[in-house]
Amino acid sequence: MSTSSSQAHSLAVPSRRLPRISLGMLLVLPALTAIILLYALPLARSLVTAFRDSSGVWTTDHVVRAFSLYGRDMLFSVGVASASLALIATISIAISGYLVLGTTPWAVRLLRWLYRWPLFIPFVVTGQIARSFLATNGMMNNVLVETGLMASNSAQSFLDWRGLVLTFAWKQIPFVTLLLAGAMAAIDRSHIEAARNVGANRLRCLFEIILPLAAPSLWVGLILSLVAMLSALSVPMMLIAGNPTMMTSMMAHRITYYGDYGIANALGLFSYALTAVTAWIYLRLTLRREATA
Amino acid sequence: MSTEALTLNNVTVDLRQQRILDGIHLDVSPGSFTCLLGPSGCGKTTLLRTIAGFTPLSQGDIRLGARSIAHLPPEKRHTAMVFQSYALWPHMSVGDNLGYPLKLRGVPRAERKQRVAAMLERLELGGFESRAVTQLSGGQRQRIALGRALIIDPPLLLLDEPLSNLDAAIRRSLRSELRRLQKSLGITTIMVTHDQEEALQMADQIVLMRAGKAVQIAAPQTLYQQPADLGVARFLGVDNTVTRNKQDPAVASGAATFGFRTRDARINEPLCSATLTRKGRVTECVYTGDGYQISLDTNEAELFATATSPITLGTFAVLQVPESALIPFGPDDRHLPPLDRHEDIA
Repeated sequence: MSTSSSQAHSLAVPSRRLPRISLGMLLVLPALTAIILLYALPLARSLVTAFRDSSGVWTTDHVVRAFSLYGRDMLFSVGVASASLALIATISIAISGYLVLGTTPWAVRLLRWLYRWPLFIPFVVTGQIARSFLATNGMMNNVLVETGLMASNSAQSFLDWRGLVLTFAWKQIPFVTLLLAGAMAAIDRSHIEAARNVGANRLRCLFEIILPLAAPSLWVGLILSLVAMLSALSVPMMLIAGNPTMMTSMMAHRITYYGDYGIANALGLFSYALTAVTAWIYLRLTLRREATA
Repeated sequence: MSTEALTLNNVTVDLRQQRILDGIHLDVSPGSFTCLLGPSGCGKTTLLRTIAGFTPLSQGDIRLGARSIAHLPPEKRHTAMVFQSYALWPHMSVGDNLGYPLKLRGVPRAERKQRVAAMLERLELGGFESRAVTQLSGGQRQRIALGRALIIDPPLLLLDEPLSNLDAAIRRSLRSELRRLQKSLGITTIMVTHDQEEALQMADQIVLMRAGKAVQIAAPQTLYQQPADLGVARFLGVDNTVTRNKQDPAVASGAATFGFRTRDARINEPLCSATLTRKGRVTECVYTGDGYQISLDTNEAELFATATSPITLGTFAVLQVPESALIPFGPDDRHLPPLDRHEDIA
């Protein structure tokens, strides 16, 4: 008697659960459909196109050609991105550190007000500003010559990898600083005061207490900046005339002049790989932190 | 570093045009235990933070031993502070937390390890070096925070309500443990607390603060028996005040008001001479463990007393306070010096 009732019970469970699952699915469906149609499918399609020729046969030809044709641009992209990230990290740590530890109230207020401005300027305008600032007859050189800091004949154009690094950094520093300064401000003040109290000066306090505690936000900011830099087309197009240049330029070139989606997608593959690696490093870091916490 | 005396001279702090601390003078002798006691918002934590260097002085001077520390940044003051939240760094292990002050002083790694281990033994947390601070209980965190402060042999120990986040039993045991440790190290200590029992039990000297001022600086017995004014008295558990009648005992000349504690007032006991008596209707009778607390509605005020057995509500009862338990206050609410014959109070 008891076994039959328990059987009946165990049989009843799935029939009761089934509608709940389908109801849940129904709720998720619109979002899921949007993600599949707008993100997953185009991504998968571009990945597939990177490995197929015009007749639809599987091939690694595009990838090999992309590397042989644009290997230098890939290295250039990695180099520019790394240098920009280093510059972004250094300056945003300095700004956020001063915002948290600064003792001159008006300077802190001024900095807090100033640093956000580039956030509201689009990449294409940033590119235009950088062009007129960094060119041979640009504002930077003019100011240096006018103030007598530099002879006019030694003025040179910064419209190369240096210009790219400076422009990317200029555009992305406020964003990373916003995240980092927020994380630093959220640290319990007594953690900082305890360090000062046992003898840490402000610099050591920044690097040994505040930064380790706020590091996850720095990583997020840098990874998102990397993605933004690898996807910015306007800035490299406006700043760099010849080769090598950023991959986005080359992808656009490949598509607009040759209609060659295969190689463009093979180049895209490399961008995915690069951001995926950084995302993986970030996930590992946070997981390790959570495991020890 | 040997323990040192602390001298506060006219310490005044203004924050956003508001006076937080108002001309505080205080002498703390080397090796003594001083409590800053007062209700929340009285400025006691600000005073501690001012000594540690986290709140800038507007006026006055702070001297540790012979040197003025008023204009030094916190890291150069060599005061050791234990924060209310303990402020252990979550990204460092227990060992790293304890060793960090030594690392800052350039102590080599091997010696650091040895001193951290010795400190953990002393705190009865031996072998805890590699634990994460997030895994510790409240009491353990408290001890690590204390160890981190003491590991550098500071001349001055500052404690910001170090026991307030712990439950009652741990608090009681840590109270005596802390006091023993302080005595054995002979370190000058200043502790902020809002708990009068804690202050009375632990301190050599209590600074009673109110609205940014040090209202009374005295030894625990003096503070308890001769509170400077009615406000201080109320904070220290003097729940009852009555206006003086002609037939009341003459504890002090010119007394306008008497204060007394509930536990000193008895109900319905045989009348003795030299006592203060008031008659009233019983409005409440609450069991307190030791006996019953009775609320008595007299014409003048509501008074509290203790009784050994319950008393029926609504009946009339007589409250009696021995002369020795009466605290006299003048018309200005300030404490009056008792007459000479009451040497036990003085």
